[in-house]
Amino acid sequence: MMLASMLVLLIVNPSAMLSEMIGASTEALELCIELCAVYVVWLGFIELIDASGLSNKLAKLLRPLIKKIFKVDNSETERLIALNISANMLGVGNAATPMGIRAMQALDDKTGKANFAMIMLVVINATSIQLLPTTVIGLRASAGSENPADIILPTLIVTVTTTIIGILLVHGIEKLRKKIKGKKKE
Amino acid sequence: MSAYILPILFILLFIYCIYKRLNTYDHFVKGAKGAIKLVVDIFPFIASIMIAVALLRVSGITSWLTQLLSPIFNALGVPPELTELVLLRPFTGSGSYALLEDVLVTYGADSYISRCACVIMGCSETIFYVATVYFSQTKVKKLLYAIPVALLCSIVGTILACLLCRVI
Repeated sequence: MMLASMLVLLIVNPSAMLSEMIGASTEALELCIELCAVYVVWLGFIELIDASGLSNKLAKLLRPLIKKIFKVDNSETERLIALNISANMLGVGNAATPMGIRAMQALDDKTGKANFAMIMLVVINATSIQLLPTTVIGLRASAGSENPADIILPTLIVTVTTTIIGILLVHGIEKLRKKIKGKKKE
Repeated sequence: MSAYILPILFILLFIYCIYKRLNTYDHFVKGAKGAIKLVVDIFPFIASIMIAVALLRVSGITSWLTQLLSPIFNALGVPPELTELVLLRPFTGSGSYALLEDVLVTYGADSYISRCACVIMGCSETIFYVATVYFSQTKVKKLLYAIPVALLCSIVGTILACLLCRVI
């Protein structure tokens, strides 16, 4: 993808290539500094949630669901996934990311291939399960909408549908893969 | 309403921690310590994907793709005005929010196109960014079917969003 755009740029506008790349990495640096500030706040709060034992309670509450969806059996991993999903639902994706990364590390089996639970976590995060699209509502309100919140219902319906489709698809593909593997062994 | 949710949760958390006799300050600092290391670890990955996106845009490949895909999206019920938004959404959060603002201003916040755009933004995520960052700290080299499934869900979501906005 990068090579293709570089080749096109070579023909269209060769002088822009380096400056564009540096511009983009400057943007990335700015984003990371911003993220760092955001993570300080969220990781601080998350440590409190952990230390007070609330995260274990949350994990216990979500355990049946997580077990069914992720097929994991490890209280530490369950806790991280529970925190990640709760943060997503609250619409604070920035708090979800650190937990997601830790959960991915806990799920990693060092085979170099993504396993079922890792793919599930990425797909669930990628289909966005937030209950309140606060940023979008805010943008819409500032653009002068008469009822900025009237997109909540359709957003909720779509988001729930795609998340369920994602979960079912990952489960379905995993079953297919097992079948194919089983046949190869025969 | 929604503005109160997080602050109230924070306050409840602090009250609960004090009730549990925890040293809130020490624990907060301990957690916050991890922030810089985390950002340093993920920075190269974020930078690489942002460079790739910038090259895609400036080389004109995205606008070319937009033209190519508009009729297909239109046939699926997605307004052609939103093709660029739908295309960029999986790659960049800030870029797609900027496009959303454009759409809101150009077509009016309460128009059908704007409402579609809002629902699409609300129910989708920056898939490539999420996958890059999440897998960045693992040993995984093969993502298998993670991205195709996520993209498929996103496309279904986009079509459903435009359909629902006609009814609701």
